[in-house]
Amino acid sequence: MSLLEAQREQTRARYPDSEGYVARDGVRVFYEVYGDGEPTVFLLPTWSIIHSRHWKMQIPYLARHFRVLTFDGRGNGKADRPSGIGAYTEYEFAADSLAVMDATGTKTAVVVGLSCGTLWGTLLAANHPDRVLGGVFIGPAVPLAPGHPERYVHSFDDRLDTDDGWAKYNRHYWLEHYVEFLEYFFGKIFSEPHSTKQIEDCVGWGLEIATETLIDAHEALELCGLEQFRDVCDRVRCPVLVIHGDEDALHPLARGAALAEATGGRFVTLEGSGHCPHVRDPVKVNLLIRDFVESLGRSAA
Amino acid sequence: MSIAAEPTREQTRARYPDEQGYVERDGVRVFWERYGEGPTAVLLFPTSPISHSRLWKAQIPYLARRHRVLTFDPRGNGRSDRPADGAAYGYWEYVEDGRAVLAAAGVDRAILVGLCDGGGWALMLASRYPETALGVVALAPCLPYLTPPHPNYTRFPFAEPLDTDEGWAKYNLHYWRRDFRSFLEFFFSQQIPEPHSTKQIEDCVDWGLETDPETLALADEEAPLPWGSTAEAEALCKAVSCPVLVVHGELDACQTRERAEAVAALTGGTLVGLEGAGHLPQARHPVKVNLLIRDFVESLERRTP
Repeated sequence: MSLLEAQREQTRARYPDSEGYVARDGVRVFYEVYGDGEPTVFLLPTWSIIHSRHWKMQIPYLARHFRVLTFDGRGNGKADRPSGIGAYTEYEFAADSLAVMDATGTKTAVVVGLSCGTLWGTLLAANHPDRVLGGVFIGPAVPLAPGHPERYVHSFDDRLDTDDGWAKYNRHYWLEHYVEFLEYFFGKIFSEPHSTKQIEDCVGWGLEIATETLIDAHEALELCGLEQFRDVCDRVRCPVLVIHGDEDALHPLARGAALAEATGGRFVTLEGSGHCPHVRDPVKVNLLIRDFVESLGRSAA
Repeated sequence: MSIAAEPTREQTRARYPDEQGYVERDGVRVFWERYGEGPTAVLLFPTSPISHSRLWKAQIPYLARRHRVLTFDPRGNGRSDRPADGAAYGYWEYVEDGRAVLAAAGVDRAILVGLCDGGGWALMLASRYPETALGVVALAPCLPYLTPPHPNYTRFPFAEPLDTDEGWAKYNLHYWRRDFRSFLEFFFSQQIPEPHSTKQIEDCVDWGLETDPETLALADEEAPLPWGSTAEAEALCKAVSCPVLVVHGELDACQTRERAEAVAALTGGTLVGLEGAGHLPQARHPVKVNLLIRDFVESLERRTP
């Protein structure tokens, strides 16, 4: 697939009611607003390997019930691609998220994050409790429990003499075989049968970021330490729902369970699901999100 | 009503039948289902016993919201019997099974919908029993002799041992006996060429495995053909007096566009071509096909107040 093809956007089930750019320190991110219900559900970006279209199965459904806000995080989609590790830390993503809320007049929202999106979602909740009504975290990439051992066999930086399996998660392999890496990576993410379309979508979005930029974004997230993240979790006061597929090949179930425990949240395991259940089992996840959001309204009333 | 043993590993369904039963003709039992209560009956014909009535699973729940939907498993697959005699699989037998199902469900007139062989059976029923057919929707219709068959079926002899298993050489009795599953996988990957069809192919392979090579060979290759000439096939089409909608996917590897055009022309019907679609548009493009069927049914309902 050529880059050009990847950039030709597919038709959408629903188009945004408004959209725009927000700049911070000269870096622009691109936001979209759908619907006008209450409250706002804020679908956060994740690692810049994909952009906001990964929420395409949530947006049309949730926008029938709530106001939906999403944005392309720095590094992909219609957002800018600053260079350097420092541009891609969880603090930058959290600050972008807050800036998007401000720019769209969003006083409060339920934040929904996938994988790394959990890092900035929890930061927002911890540092701006008056702005975050609740948090939904899917397949959280958090350091609260050990990762899958097979992901830590090979060095990211060293040139390897193998490209078997997770050895593809390697700077040199990315620079030389980026498409093959994307196909492998998203093949691991979508462990469910009949996921060819979801894999194709994600590979296409992955081609919208330059490999060097993705390396920056990867290295930035490696900086997130356990101690600082525990402190963030301790300060989260809002209701939390953690959703985790029991076949998640990127982040083990124990990480989701530990996040739920650390934030006093509810933990829902999805049997047979991989790392992106919102993409592959959208009905289940949409109903979980909707029920969670509606439960917040009830407890407030 | 007697209910046979449940099929071995049926998936859950979006909608379950409101009524089910068997009709029996000459000792052969055929299993049917009814969904919904609407005033207009829609009979979804099965096709060759390489498949069965679950072929319509993406149509049934939608159409049954407004219509009375009838399906049946073809003799040779699903919960229907598997007679051991080729004569029991003649085209007219399936047509008469369809009529028996209508009678059992208390339906006098119906819109007849069929795919491939089933499209042919729907047209045959409408031709011989015009009082029963309100209209016909024929997807990728098969009527022998109407036009030359798709070249895929004439590449290799069916009954002779071959020295190759490549491609359409798998459409061969000896290969079926050796490796029926691989044949089914090949066959349905040809019939469902659209990208992202692994689920539809898997379903079809599973349904195919509910029958066996000997039964399928009897039904598809040894059963008597209903006529022996193009003129007879054309006469049959011309005798269809009800409205006809023909749907054909441009990537169909089983039935030619030429055949679909001939059916539409001879019946005075409308032909809708589906870009990028294969032989099973109802499985792979269900919304398009459902809306086509719905619009057709509604246009007929407006005609008959």
